[in-house]
Amino acid sequence: MSAVAAPPSRSHLWQVVEYQLYVGRRIWRSMFIVGVFTPLAYVLSLGIGLGTVVNNHGNSLGVPYLVYVAPAFLTAAALQIAAADSAYPIMAGFKWIRTFHGMAATPLTPAQICDGQLMWVALRIFANSLVYLAIMAAFGGTERWWVVLCVPIATLTAMAFAAPVAAIAATMENEGNGFNMLFRFVVTPMFLFSGTFYPVSELPEWGRWLAYISPLWHGTELARGSAIGHIGGTAVLGHLAYLLLWFVVGLGLARWRFGVRLSK
Amino acid sequence: MGCVPVVGVKRSRTQLLAWSNVVAPSPRAVADVTSRPAPDLLIEARGLTKTFGDFTAVDGIDVAVPRGEAFGFLGPNGAGKSSTMRMIACVAPITSGSLRILGMDPVSQGPQIRARLGVVPQQDTLDLELTVRENLYIYGRYFGMSRAALRPKIDDLLDFAQLTERADAKVEPLSGGMKRRLTIARSLINDPDILLLDEPTTGLDPQARHVLWDRLYRLKQQGVTLVLTTHYMDEAEQLCDRLVVMDGGRIVAEGSPQQLIAAHSTREVAELRFAPGENAAAAERIGDLLDDARERAEVLPDRVLLYVTDGEQALARAHEAGLSPISSLVRRSTLEDVFLRLTGRSLID
Repeated sequence: MSAVAAPPSRSHLWQVVEYQLYVGRRIWRSMFIVGVFTPLAYVLSLGIGLGTVVNNHGNSLGVPYLVYVAPAFLTAAALQIAAADSAYPIMAGFKWIRTFHGMAATPLTPAQICDGQLMWVALRIFANSLVYLAIMAAFGGTERWWVVLCVPIATLTAMAFAAPVAAIAATMENEGNGFNMLFRFVVTPMFLFSGTFYPVSELPEWGRWLAYISPLWHGTELARGSAIGHIGGTAVLGHLAYLLLWFVVGLGLARWRFGVRLSK
Repeated sequence: MGCVPVVGVKRSRTQLLAWSNVVAPSPRAVADVTSRPAPDLLIEARGLTKTFGDFTAVDGIDVAVPRGEAFGFLGPNGAGKSSTMRMIACVAPITSGSLRILGMDPVSQGPQIRARLGVVPQQDTLDLELTVRENLYIYGRYFGMSRAALRPKIDDLLDFAQLTERADAKVEPLSGGMKRRLTIARSLINDPDILLLDEPTTGLDPQARHVLWDRLYRLKQQGVTLVLTTHYMDEAEQLCDRLVVMDGGRIVAEGSPQQLIAAHSTREVAELRFAPGENAAAAERIGDLLDDARERAEVLPDRVLLYVTDGEQALARAHEAGLSPISSLVRRSTLEDVFLRLTGRSLID
């Protein structure tokens, strides 16, 4: 009777993404506002506004402040949106709208559901970062073609953080108040202490160590390196390896927690 | 369905039961059996056990469901029905025992099995933000079905679920009955070999339940293998060819509704309601009036049940003995009585 149903395959991951696209069609306005308004606000107020002050007071960074700061904003925005998309929406899929439980009754496996969900987040982040890059370029915040690497770098950085957040979201049984803590005490400080506005060498030693632990600093260094070119090959490999480690461990944890939650 | 009368909601329960025994498998079901080397038993469980820590939810049950049967798990909340269903649905792993679904092993072939199951969970998992049609489409995509295959299928299912007019409406504002019908339509998107229904009508008003039963009865007539859990004895009597009564994770009885009633209850039940606090004393006096060894009286908080062969006669004798209940009625035995007899408790606590 089920001749029309194809045998299960990896392509199922894309069916989860397709579902999210259908959901996304309903909220494209808010996604558009986040995707365009946030970069405009940051680029104009801090990149250009604060940048004018910095550039007029003996900027020692070697490039205009906007060129220095914009790749870091792009990366930080990617990480923040990915963290938000992996927190409440994933929790809702288990707890409130229960769509993951619906998916688990089909040939989809918990790992495929997890991968599909994260793939959707990655695609959104990639698109967002492209828009961010275009806005940077429109306001003269780019100096060389290598800067396009900011987009994949930001996506990797975002997913390195989003994957463990997804694991937490799949584990939480309560109403998700823990996410407030996550955003207040992890995500926001990470933005402030990851060399976004100035080199981490300006920080006291404890502050530098916070930066070294944070995946955002490694992503910011890579993105800024692509925009300015001040970074060496060994450093690039080191940053990439650190981000990949976060992502791989996070993905493993997320798949595990999806499996536990959906087989209860 | 041609050889079988279409059953509407107005038919009596006895008629439904009578028909359910003469239903021949539909041509479609027969063709299916011959075209695929499918096992005769679609579900085969031996010593099936599920524990959560120290708690044993399912305690070593044996279940065998052949193709085309409508099989039910009847029992109160917490009897282990849903845990059993989640193992059969190849979602939750078994703790011990053995389980074969469609001749396959849920551990190693979960996705292959789930591809051929339809699942109606206890709690709806519909996407409320999407339309009725989008919910069906997306779900079909999870089974790897193509757009082209889904389009006519969705139209058929909308028609079956009586939701054609609401096809492009969002799910959120639909009534509970409509959402439930959509969940059932969704579960049929892959033409499942087995349809699993966990408490399909819990929480619905009587009218919506009858509409749903009619739809499920049609599926049964088409030869779809139905497996359902319920704590409503009328639902079990209407839909199940055979059922098991579960209590505390174990199977306490098994058979067709008529067999269970014949084996564990009397033909008729007289219900007598006395003033509050007087039911127990009245039952004691009535107990003396019952002569047959199979006849007995059961005291519930609000009434006395007399399990007898002739209810009117028992009622007359109670009146002759000077008992004057506030109200009384005589009815046929139901599965509720079977459950009360087997466990000493009613189904809905």
